[in-house]
Amino acid sequence: MRAQSPRRSHLSVLQPYLLIAPTLILVLMFNVLPAIKTVYDSTHRPARGLNAAGKAPDYVGLQNFRDLFDEAHYMGTRFQRTLRNTIVFALATVVIGVPLGLLLALLLNHKQPLLGLWRFAVFYPSLLPLIGAASIWSFIFSDSIGLANAVLKSLGHPGLNWLGDRNLVLLSVIVVNIWKQAGYFMIFFLAGLQNIPRDIYESASLDGASDRQQFTALTLPLLRRTLLFVIVISFIFAFQTVEQLQALGEGGPNDSANLLLYLIFQNISERRNWGYVNAMTIVLIGVVLTFTIANFLLFERDESN
Amino acid sequence: MSCTRIACLVLLLIAMTAGAAMAQDDVVIDFYFPSATANDAEGIFQRYADMFQEENPGITINSVFSGSYTDTRNTILTELQGGGAGPDVAVMLSIDLYSFAEEGYIVPAQSFIDAMEDGDAYVSDFFPALMANGVDEMGTVWSIPFQRSTPILYYNADLLAEAGYDAPPTNNTELVEIAQALTTDERDGLLVPVAGGFPIWMYQSFAIAYGRNIVSDDPTEVYFNTPEAVAAVEFVRSLGTDLGVGPAGGAAWGDTPVAFLAGQAAMIYHTTGNLSRILDGAEFEVGVWYLPSGPAGEDGSGYGSPTGGGNLYIFDDGSKSDEELDAIWKWVLFLSSPQIQSDWGATTGYIASNATAWETEPLASRAMEYPQYGVARDQLQYADKEFSSYATITIQGIINKTLESILTGESEDAQAAMDAAQAQIDGILAEYK
Repeated sequence: MRAQSPRRSHLSVLQPYLLIAPTLILVLMFNVLPAIKTVYDSTHRPARGLNAAGKAPDYVGLQNFRDLFDEAHYMGTRFQRTLRNTIVFALATVVIGVPLGLLLALLLNHKQPLLGLWRFAVFYPSLLPLIGAASIWSFIFSDSIGLANAVLKSLGHPGLNWLGDRNLVLLSVIVVNIWKQAGYFMIFFLAGLQNIPRDIYESASLDGASDRQQFTALTLPLLRRTLLFVIVISFIFAFQTVEQLQALGEGGPNDSANLLLYLIFQNISERRNWGYVNAMTIVLIGVVLTFTIANFLLFERDESN
Repeated sequence: MSCTRIACLVLLLIAMTAGAAMAQDDVVIDFYFPSATANDAEGIFQRYADMFQEENPGITINSVFSGSYTDTRNTILTELQGGGAGPDVAVMLSIDLYSFAEEGYIVPAQSFIDAMEDGDAYVSDFFPALMANGVDEMGTVWSIPFQRSTPILYYNADLLAEAGYDAPPTNNTELVEIAQALTTDERDGLLVPVAGGFPIWMYQSFAIAYGRNIVSDDPTEVYFNTPEAVAAVEFVRSLGTDLGVGPAGGAAWGDTPVAFLAGQAAMIYHTTGNLSRILDGAEFEVGVWYLPSGPAGEDGSGYGSPTGGGNLYIFDDGSKSDEELDAIWKWVLFLSSPQIQSDWGATTGYIASNATAWETEPLASRAMEYPQYGVARDQLQYADKEFSSYATITIQGIINKTLESILTGESEDAQAAMDAAQAQIDGILAEYK
């Protein structure tokens, strides 16, 4: 018995590590290593020119990033335009989509006839597969046979080239994105609203607080955590958008509606651009991380006050 | 119940492994193919594989459907760059030649052709225009035409007749005249699908018709800012602006045949790959003609369209045995034979790539019944090389973006935009000289 005890303690030291080993190995293989490789590749450039296949990549420091911010460079032109679009797209989703989700939740939080039907109708777009929904919209937006233009024409307007006009494509993609996600955001707000006890509203009413006062002084502060969560995920989703673009104009004429992750996807086909692809990935992650951390810090600080 | 099920599954697995072991002596050819048209490409290739295996015992064809052309290219590149085996034979775009040759993943078909007794006859049976993208600047044949297409002019013959035109336009002047005559509030006179990400192909038709293609045989040269190239894009832009026969910025690729079938477009430029679908779907008489000629030759020499579509590529990193290479070449020969090309052309609408295929059933009867198929073939005598150079994907991207910016009016000065693009392109190609 005595001889066994040191071995047992040896085992018990190892045991937790053994237990997390499978997860740890998977995380290392599929998260940590690729992340390190991305950083490494972003400072390198694949060998170019003839017979370059077997050659090792060259270390170029931050040159890939410099090219991305050089307006005259073929990748820089595309990257800068796409980065601007992505920020506009993300802001539009957050500034319009999130309040819309909240508004829908407020409207559908009260007992009313056909409540289930309304909630289902609003939530339904989020159940549709993204690429399918976007394909339906691509028909709606079609220049010659689309529903949108049929409506416009019946009103005497000649119709718009929704997916071909460089000034309209990004708007079209934003509309689809908000339509798709507002119902999804609504679900979170509905859950949040139903966690707020009814009696505080009753006492507020007794104290003579108007609906608007109740909303700003009770609902909004009590939904703070939900709001933070929804803003962060809507922002991250916006930066991950790819599928809609495939169906809705593939980034628009001259990248007028292209978004960052789709641009990255478009450029993996040729080895010479891999340095840029990795550099763009780092910028993408940098923006999302900065935004997310900033949001948490802001809300946490508010909370502790 | 579930125990029996598991037992069945185990037995099935054992049976499959045993089957694989029995076929171990066979040479297995991994064949990757992208989505063809809307037809059942998987079923068709399985049928071809069965026919081939019957004729060639000891060779097994493993057909792998690999998504779109882009997916196929990316899948193969990812496999090979990650040290994987990749395919033995694949159908990829004819313009992918330099991307893969550059990397050293493919081998020229030339060495196999040289070893054939009747190699010259085999090569000369292909339409020369369809060979252009498979041959390098030294004249070495790398890839073999398989599923090929070109843009052609489709016209609604009923609408033209109503307006008093018995024949389709043969040059740009007539094209504009007829398109304007047929444009109404409800209908576009002419749709050229240059919107939606890939204007370069349709644009090349106009560049060729204006007298100078944007590529030559030399993969280190691109001619994107010549007077002909600039005039061609200005003409395409004017269709949607000054001439007013179609939407500003051009039509989208997928909408174009739909609008044509719905009677909302009198004439369209589109791929021969859609010929079967349009003939089957139209409730009016569909006319098909060469793309009208540009100023390069009112005598007819200014006709011209690029070719498009996919070729057969052979993959070898030097590790394959003679026996394997022999089997691979047999499969390529089989797929490019007049017999299969005739079947493939008649089933899908792609242009059968060798002359003999057109005298072989079932295509011979089909072409007799629908003379429209013959127009696509005859236009090949005026067709030219599709855009392809070193760093094809990157340079194609630069050209597409520049064309889009000109066509949508973002860049008003076409010459300036094309000069800037040419400078970027020359910078990239300098690495290959």
